[in-house]
Amino acid sequence: MVARAWAGLGDAVAPLSNGAGRPLTRTVKLILDPLVLRPVLNPEFAAGAVAVEHVDAMRARIADAGPVLAATASWFVVLKKERRRARITEGNPQDLYFQRCFELATEHGAPGRDAASVAAAVLAEVHGQDGPTVAELRGFLTDAANAAALTRLIETTWAAPRPVPSAATMALTEFLASCAAAPDRALFRALVAKSAGTAGAVELDRPGVALAHGLTDRDRPAPPALGESASKRNLPKPFDRSILERLFAPLTNTFLRAGLADVPALVRQEITRSAGPWQLADEVSRVIMALGREASAGLTGRPQAGGAAARLRSRWEREAYVHRVLRMPSAAPPAVRADVRGVREAYVRRLWVRVHGRELRHDTVTAEQVWDVLDGVLRSVILDQRDRLRAALEREAGT
Amino acid sequence: MRVSRSAGIVVGDWPERPEVVALLEGAGAVLAWDVLVGDVVPAARVDDPERAAEWLWEIYGDAADGILGTAEEVDAETAGDRRVRDACRTVAQLNWARAWWPASTTAGVPALDPVVLQAERVVVLSTVEHLLDDPDAVPRALESVVSLDTTAHPELAERVRALAEDYGVALAPAAETSRSGYALAAGGGGFAGTTVLTGSSIVDWTLVPAGVVDAAAPAEWAVVRRQGTTVLEVSVAPGPRPGTRLAARFAEVDVALDAVDGLGRLTGSAPVPPTVLLLPPDRRALTVYAPGFAEPATPDPGAEARHAAIIAYARSRTGSPEATLTERTAR
Repeated sequence: MVARAWAGLGDAVAPLSNGAGRPLTRTVKLILDPLVLRPVLNPEFAAGAVAVEHVDAMRARIADAGPVLAATASWFVVLKKERRRARITEGNPQDLYFQRCFELATEHGAPGRDAASVAAAVLAEVHGQDGPTVAELRGFLTDAANAAALTRLIETTWAAPRPVPSAATMALTEFLASCAAAPDRALFRALVAKSAGTAGAVELDRPGVALAHGLTDRDRPAPPALGESASKRNLPKPFDRSILERLFAPLTNTFLRAGLADVPALVRQEITRSAGPWQLADEVSRVIMALGREASAGLTGRPQAGGAAARLRSRWEREAYVHRVLRMPSAAPPAVRADVRGVREAYVRRLWVRVHGRELRHDTVTAEQVWDVLDGVLRSVILDQRDRLRAALEREAGT
Repeated sequence: MRVSRSAGIVVGDWPERPEVVALLEGAGAVLAWDVLVGDVVPAARVDDPERAAEWLWEIYGDAADGILGTAEEVDAETAGDRRVRDACRTVAQLNWARAWWPASTTAGVPALDPVVLQAERVVVLSTVEHLLDDPDAVPRALESVVSLDTTAHPELAERVRALAEDYGVALAPAAETSRSGYALAAGGGGFAGTTVLTGSSIVDWTLVPAGVVDAAAPAEWAVVRRQGTTVLEVSVAPGPRPGTRLAARFAEVDVALDAVDGLGRLTGSAPVPPTVLLLPPDRRALTVYAPGFAEPATPDPGAEARHAAIIAYARSRTGSPEATLTERTAR
């Protein structure tokens, strides 16, 4: 439907389309959905659920947006040209410029005579963004003048009693049953309001529980160290990461760090976060963790009927077949094998990292996005396993 | 085409043997073609009907409604968007070629150029990006593409360059694909001694990585009496990309194939108890495998015929105008 409406816009939007004439993945994700169709304001346009009576309205909306989309496409071409001229290579141009181009198109219409200078200014702004750096973070954490106070903050936040709300497991499974096809927003709000995520974290403090979740190598989670160094390759399990290691990854990304708080605030927030249930700050994130734990239980244990758990299970079972078809090793190297056997632990770890990253960016997961997050994490665990298997194969062949 | 709903939604005849499957992982559904059958319309397995609904009509046309609805039989032979379906087929074909292309000097199947394969794959992948399961499939594929020789394939090189720019990926510079580190000891004694028993077995493709051994040549073995001991000698012809450690198992004895003989074959030998001569013929089977890649297993009885069919198919592809550039430019 979107494809047909899109085709009606013709060649003018080719820079936003792929070789088959369909809108690019990022055209849908960054422009059509959030800026044109806006399913949050127009729930009748939500992906996959457009009823027959709204089809014409949706088609009309895309057709009406034709001129601005055509201008967006032209601006993208101008920006790419300017990017090449300025020899900029960092970042994905679609991610970085698509929404800027839409803004330019809305404001200026099609690119005019001053297009090049406008584009240069936009590029300077996008690529000139700053924010806290890893060096600042390390400096702040290792400065003796701060260390004592920060260590005390870790002690007091970790010593504070935790709230113990009553469990709400039933509602978790109920939400999971429908979240892939028709997410129940009211139920999701209720889960957050009743602190279902916090309730689900209570047992993590018991000996061996967080360990069994794959979130730590310790018997019980311990307060984090401030940390002196970090490397992307050898990060410990999430709960064993120092404050530096927790904040390190987002700070190494030029485009993520721009939106972050300054270093002292960031560090204090992270310390408080580490003492919270699931070592996360927002109840929404904690609910996602509880949902993910519940849904991933079916990956290795007894299959669950229907809903998110069954869909995750079917993706995981499919992977065994895909593996054989792609001629991937059936006897994996030990490191990867541990991951395959411990897929649920790998899943919970990856989910934590995703949710933690979204907290830092203030990018709150909505009820509609839950299934995408839960499913996307398993996909990412699986693709990561494939990459590591391929790398192991190539290493083997090279020696 | 039949639509089965007993275990998820399955459209058509789902190919089971991995070495004939050309696969495409779409969002919410996987498409599969059996390369030996040559159907235009693929079989499909739908895992997430909501997601698949957004693009399944491009493959099956109006039949997609029936597939996602309650139909038990659909007609999809001429439906769908040909351009999209063909591009999906090409991606799947290149996935198949990357894994199973049976390069063989013995059977005259030339080797594929991995650089051309990766480049062609990323270009068609970008054509159907909107329906792929992995939203980062194109940038991910670009990571393993190297800059192409512009004189040999100017058009492909230009499209890859433009894609890399669109996705902000810096292509790795073209490197001589060296056979570095591949050093095996030259021939250890050959077959001196008295050969008592010989035989050969096919190599099960699923037990070795792609391109490591010649896909058509059988592995040969000989039981040799030499200076009062009994020795098993094994040899196998290498493929275009050797280098992976190989071993062979014969009657519970493991032999490392860690030497090269005068003919360039990978060889190895190991002492065996004289009792191997008493083995019944059906247990004198040799299994070549790559340790760390697969555990040795006996191939199923149909493997030999299937291998022959796939080799014949591959040979027909190198000269076929319908084949991918990668297959047509195999050398």
